[in-house]
Amino acid sequence: MMSSRTFSLLAPVTLGIIILGIWEGVCRFWHIPPYLMPSPSAIWRALMLDGVALLHALLITLEITFAALIAAVVGGVLVAFLLVQSPLIERCLMPYVVIMQVTPIVAIAPLIIILIHNTPLALTACAALVAIFPVISNTLQGLRSVDPDLAAYFQMHKASRLQTLTRLRIPSALPMFMAGLRIATGLSLVGAIVAEFVAGTGGNSAGLAYQILQSGFQMDIPRMFAALFLITVAGLVLYTAAASLQRFALRHRS
Amino acid sequence: MNTSVLSLAGIEKVFPNGVRGLSPVDLTVEKGDFVTLIGPSGCGKSTLLKLIANLHTPSGGKMNWWGGNFGDVGRKGRRMAFVFQDATLMPWATIAKNVRLPLDLEKVDRATADKRALAALERVGLGHVTEHYPAQLSGGMKMRVSIARALVTEPDLLLMDEPFGALDEFTRNRLDEEMARLCYEDGLTTLFVTHALHEAAFLSSRVMVMAARPGRIHAQYEIDRSILRNEEFRLSDQFAGISRELAILLEDASRESMIQQEVRA
Ligand SMILES: Nc1ncnc2c1ncn2[C@@H]1O[C@H](COP(=O)(O)OP(=O)(O)OP(=O)(O)O)[C@@H](O)[C@H]1O
Ligand SMILES: [Mg+2]
Repeated sequence: MMSSRTFSLLAPVTLGIIILGIWEGVCRFWHIPPYLMPSPSAIWRALMLDGVALLHALLITLEITFAALIAAVVGGVLVAFLLVQSPLIERCLMPYVVIMQVTPIVAIAPLIIILIHNTPLALTACAALVAIFPVISNTLQGLRSVDPDLAAYFQMHKASRLQTLTRLRIPSALPMFMAGLRIATGLSLVGAIVAEFVAGTGGNSAGLAYQILQSGFQMDIPRMFAALFLITVAGLVLYTAAASLQRFALRHRS
Repeated sequence: MNTSVLSLAGIEKVFPNGVRGLSPVDLTVEKGDFVTLIGPSGCGKSTLLKLIANLHTPSGGKMNWWGGNFGDVGRKGRRMAFVFQDATLMPWATIAKNVRLPLDLEKVDRATADKRALAALERVGLGHVTEHYPAQLSGGMKMRVSIARALVTEPDLLLMDEPFGALDEFTRNRLDEEMARLCYEDGLTTLFVTHALHEAAFLSSRVMVMAARPGRIHAQYEIDRSILRNEEFRLSDQFAGISRELAILLEDASRESMIQQEVRA
C-alpha cells in the first residue's frame, strides 16, 4: 500500500510526464518549428547549452527576491505593530496601506526605478512593495486574534505590557504571520521578475526576466522556455520551503 | 475588622449598551466556603465572577477582598485564581509551561516554578504529561491542567466559571470529587458557577440561586459541610433530597425570570 504522501507526490509527477510526452510527440509528429512551439527536448537542449548564463541570471533574481522578502517581513511586521498600538494610528495609516496594495506595481515601478539610481536596490524595493501587504494584514490580524479568556487571564494576573506582548500576543499571532509569510515568499519572486521586466536592465547584473526579454528579441524561443522553466522551479522550491517552515513553526498546535 | 474572603454589598452592573447585567447583589464568602452560583442562562453568573476578578468594574456598590481593595489581591494570603469554562491553555507551550505561567508572570525563579508546577500537576494526577502539548490531551485532561495552573499559585480563593460544562458525565463526576477534596480536606475557598443542579448539590456548602432580567440572587440554600462528598453521598437519599429542594428553588427562579421578561415585553 502506498502512503498518501508518496501518492500526492507521484500523482502530479506522473501527470507531468504524460503531458511532456504528448507535447514532445505532437511537436515531432507535425514538425512544429521551435520558434512557434519548442518541444521539451529542444527546451532541455537550450537549458544545457546556456545553463551557466541562465543559472547566473536566476541567482541574481533570487538575490533580489530574498532581499525583498526580508525587507517585506521586517517592514510589514513593524507596520503591523505600529498599527495595532492605537485605533487612531490605524485609522490614519490603514488607507495608505490599502492604496499601496491596490496600485499595480507595473504602474509605479518606472517611478521607483527613476527615483532610486541603484538598480538592484530599486528592483528590491518594487518586489518588497508587492510582498509587504500580506505580511502587514496577516500579522495585524494575528496580533488581534488573541483568545479573550487568555487575555483576561493575563490581565487578572497583573501581567505587564511586555509580558503580554511576548508571552501572549506574539505567539498568538504566529499562525497568521506564517500564512502571510508563505504568500509573501511567492509574491517576492513575482515582484522581482515584474520589476526586472519593467527595468529591462542589461549588463552583468541582469536577472531571468532580462534573459526572457533577450531571448524574445532573438526569437530564441526554446531559451525563453528554459528561463521560464527555471523560474517555475525556483517558485516551487520557495513555496515548499515556506510551507515547511510554516508547518515546523506550528507543529505543536492542533 | 472584616475577615470575610469576599464581601459584596449592593454590587450592580449596567453594561455600556444599557443592559442591566446585575441588579444589586449582596454576597459574602467566608474562608473554607464552597459557594455555588446557579441560575438560568443570562442571569449574570459570569458577570458576577468577572466583577470579582476585576475584569469588569461595577456600576455601583461596594466590594472587598479580604477586607481590602483589589490592589492588594495577589499578595500572600490574598491570592485569587480563575478557571474558565474552556481550559484556556496556550497551545504553543508545553503543559509544564502552561502551569508555570502565573509563576512566570510573578517572576518566580525557574527552578522553584518548575518544582511547583510539577507538584500541582501531580495533585491533579497529570505528573506524567509535563512535556506534552495541549493538543495532545483530552478535554478532561486539559481541564485538569487548567485546575493545576490555578492551584500552582496556592490560591486563597478559587473562582470557577462552569469549568466542567463541556465534559462527559463520568469525567465531570470524577473532577467534582477532586474539587470536593480540595475544598473540604485542604480548605480551599471556592466560588463556583454551574448550570448543573446535581453538581451544585454535590459540591456546595452554600448555593446561591439566581434569577435573570435583571440578574439577582433569588434564594440561598445551606448544605451541611460535614457530609463526606464521595460516590456514596451521590447515591444517598440525602443527596436526592437536596437536589429536589434545589430543583424547586431553581424552578421558582426561572419562572420569575420569565415573568420579568413578559412584564418588560
Ligand atoms: N460585555 C457585555 N456587554 C453587554 N451585555 C453583556 C455583556 N456581558 C454580558 N452581558 C449581558 O449580561 C447578562 C448576563 O450575562 P452573563 O454572561 O453574566 O450570564 P450567565 O449567567 O453567565 O449566563 P450563562 O449561564 O449563559 O453563561 C446577559 O443578558 C448578557 O447578555
Ligand atoms: Mg456564563
